Amino acid sequence: MQGFIKKIAEYTREAVDAANYLAQGLAVTFDHMRRRPVTVQYPYEKLIPSERYRGRIHYEFDKCIACEVCVRVCPINLPVVDWVMNKETKKKELRNYSIDFGACIFCGNCVEYCPTNCLSMTEEYEMAAFDRHSLNYDNVALGRLPTSVTSDPSVQPLRELGYLPKGVMDPHNVPASEPRAGHLPNEILEWMKENPKDQTEKELNKINN
Amino acid sequence: MNIAISTQTICFLILSSIVIVGSISVVLLENIVYSAFLLGGVFMSVAGLYLLLNASFVAAAQVLVYVGAVNVLILFAIMLVNKREELKPVKGLKIRKIFSAAICFGLLALLIRVDLITPWSLPGPVAIGEEATARIGEHLFTDYLLPFELASVLLLMAMIGAIVLARRDVPTKDIGTGNVVNQSLLEKPNVPILIDKSSN
Amino acid sequence: MLTSNSLNQTFAIANSGLDLEFSFTKAMEGVGLSPEIAHILWLPLPMALVLVAAVVGVLVTVWLERKISAAAQQRIGPEYAGALGILQPMADGLKLLVKEDIIPARADTWLFTLGPVLVLVPVILSWLIVPFGQKLLISNVGIGIFLWISLSSIQPIGLLMSGYASNNKYSLLGGLRAAAQSISYEIPLALSVLAIVMMSNSLSTVDIVNQQNTIGLLSWNIWRQPVGFIIFWICALAECERLPFDLPEAEEELVAGYQTEYAGMKFALFYLGSYINLVLSALLVSILYLGGWGFPIPIEWIASWVGQDPNAPSIELLTGSLGIIMTILKAYLLVFLAILLRWTTPRVRIDQLLDLGWKFLLPISLVNLLVTAGLKLIFPSAFGG
Repeated sequence: MQGFIKKIAEYTREAVDAANYLAQGLAVTFDHMRRRPVTVQYPYEKLIPSERYRGRIHYEFDKCIACEVCVRVCPINLPVVDWVMNKETKKKELRNYSIDFGACIFCGNCVEYCPTNCLSMTEEYEMAAFDRHSLNYDNVALGRLPTSVTSDPSVQPLRELGYLPKGVMDPHNVPASEPRAGHLPNEILEWMKENPKDQTEKELNKINN
Repeated sequence: MNIAISTQTICFLILSSIVIVGSISVVLLENIVYSAFLLGGVFMSVAGLYLLLNASFVAAAQVLVYVGAVNVLILFAIMLVNKREELKPVKGLKIRKIFSAAICFGLLALLIRVDLITPWSLPGPVAIGEEATARIGEHLFTDYLLPFELASVLLLMAMIGAIVLARRDVPTKDIGTGNVVNQSLLEKPNVPILIDKSSN
Repeated sequence: MLTSNSLNQTFAIANSGLDLEFSFTKAMEGVGLSPEIAHILWLPLPMALVLVAAVVGVLVTVWLERKISAAAQQRIGPEYAGALGILQPMADGLKLLVKEDIIPARADTWLFTLGPVLVLVPVILSWLIVPFGQKLLISNVGIGIFLWISLSSIQPIGLLMSGYASNNKYSLLGGLRAAAQSISYEIPLALSVLAIVMMSNSLSTVDIVNQQNTIGLLSWNIWRQPVGFIIFWICALAECERLPFDLPEAEEELVAGYQTEYAGMKFALFYLGSYINLVLSALLVSILYLGGWGFPIPIEWIASWVGQDPNAPSIELLTGSLGIIMTILKAYLLVFLAILLRWTTPRVRIDQLLDLGWKFLLPISLVNLLVTAGLKLIFPSAFGG
């Protein structure tokens, strides 16, 4: 009898616990309904890519000296540099240059090591294609500049989360004059110049923390 | 003949033809699944006949018990059983068929005879309609109490029997090595109740 | 059981509410038709109305489900079809309507076609007994709520039929699971309804609501049957195959269960059936436990405070429309709860499902029934003597 009552008591407690957990879960779900969506309505709205965004690579044919550094630093030796030696001038003559963006991982090594800065990264990321071969860009395609999000009239540009004012999550309806959270390096430098050294260190610690 | 009576006649004809055609097909169809589904249809039409007789509670009970429970159980059994089974040809199938047909027709003749010689009072007693539920309950708990309780005891016995039959017996010892093995299910231990302990 | 509650009777006479059929027959007779013809003309009207109401209810529920799900997940949800995406379910329905109707090559054509119909028809038939007011229901049949229980027991046959006819192991498994789930949860459901019926001395939904609306909010059945309410709601969710119990169509295991091979309008019938069933269950919970069309404070009290005659035509019209609004409001509150539960609870396993049904809900509902019977004997005034 004692055991039976004990069993029933345990069973009841388990049922009550289960109901309690269910109620907690419901409370969480209900609480989430309070949070508003921060959806960016792509393709009508687009985020402005950040300053060092590593998008599709831009290439300037005229600057290139066909040194092939980009090929050597590339993890998979992707860039194809098609050149011939001009025997008369004893100089490399560049014919074609291409990068296959179907294989590129956008690591930016080529851009980093290019001695003449003829390679650079753009903010273009919309490279969907019906055929993977059309992702193989030649020097003409590589030389095109993408349309900037901010200058496209059909697109509403929105700031990314890191560029929003402090505490703001939704990029919609944030005035352009509102500064981003934190300070830029030049701002900090300027401010350091204005203030004595020991005080700045304290303040810097405050900012960093 | 006004509209209500003609509607009733048409409904009666449709329902009874479904009952007759359906039940004949249940017996004669080769595919057992069709038979089971048709049986459900027959039960439904019988419920419809009850409705025509103003016995809505009996009709609903018919649907709940026969369609919702009996027929679903039959369907379950058919669908869970592996139907790929080679049956041995039965000897003298023709004679058996003739015999069973004769018995069936004899039963039919008997039924028809009973139907003809019984003095049915026409029109029958007035249907009590909505009060039927209360009346049935009253009868079940007064003059039909014993059959009612007997039926419930019978059902309880059947249920316990089904549980005993369906219970999964897990041997506690490995048959080959004789070692004790833990073959408990996912969470709960399953104590065998039908294994003869003296033989181990 | 034989003597109906005198309180209920006086209540029913005092508040006969709107009688649309009577007014319609009167109007038709005014045009010069015989009462019989007027009756025949009247007959299809409520049926068509209920079909329209059920379908509109489903459209609203689908929209709500999508919007509330989106809100719970910080999404926007349907937005462009109509204002706030309100036409999205319509667009979905239209798409399913014009989609190609595919019957798999080795499927059983007849059973494959009949299955969805057998799933949908009982659900729509059950709307017969849903009252939106004293006289605002299709038929006040005496067996009322029992009709719903027996009709909903037809559904498993349709599920088994479509599962078998699809000639697909996922479909068959889904159909079997659906039928097993439907059968096991019907028993606690029926037992919790029985406790209600015991208190109201009637199977009729109108009587059940009337019995709850004597002193407004405090006389609702949820206070007298809290356990029954929870059992009924869990079982209703299981019968509708809503999320904690959506094993028959568990997409990770069974593709889509018995719906796997269906496309176009036949799939739409399943879809419609499941949502009509959800709305119906919510309506029935509001009728059985939340006072149906009753306002939290009885209208008669308000009318007497204001100094109006509760039987005046304008007040009756107000009461009738308020009743419809209250019923729908309560039902949609429950739909909202179901959607929240959908995004809160994970799906149970099949053994957990059957454990919950047979080892938890069934004993609890039996105890609930017993306790209700005891309380009815001890406090006949509070528990419908």
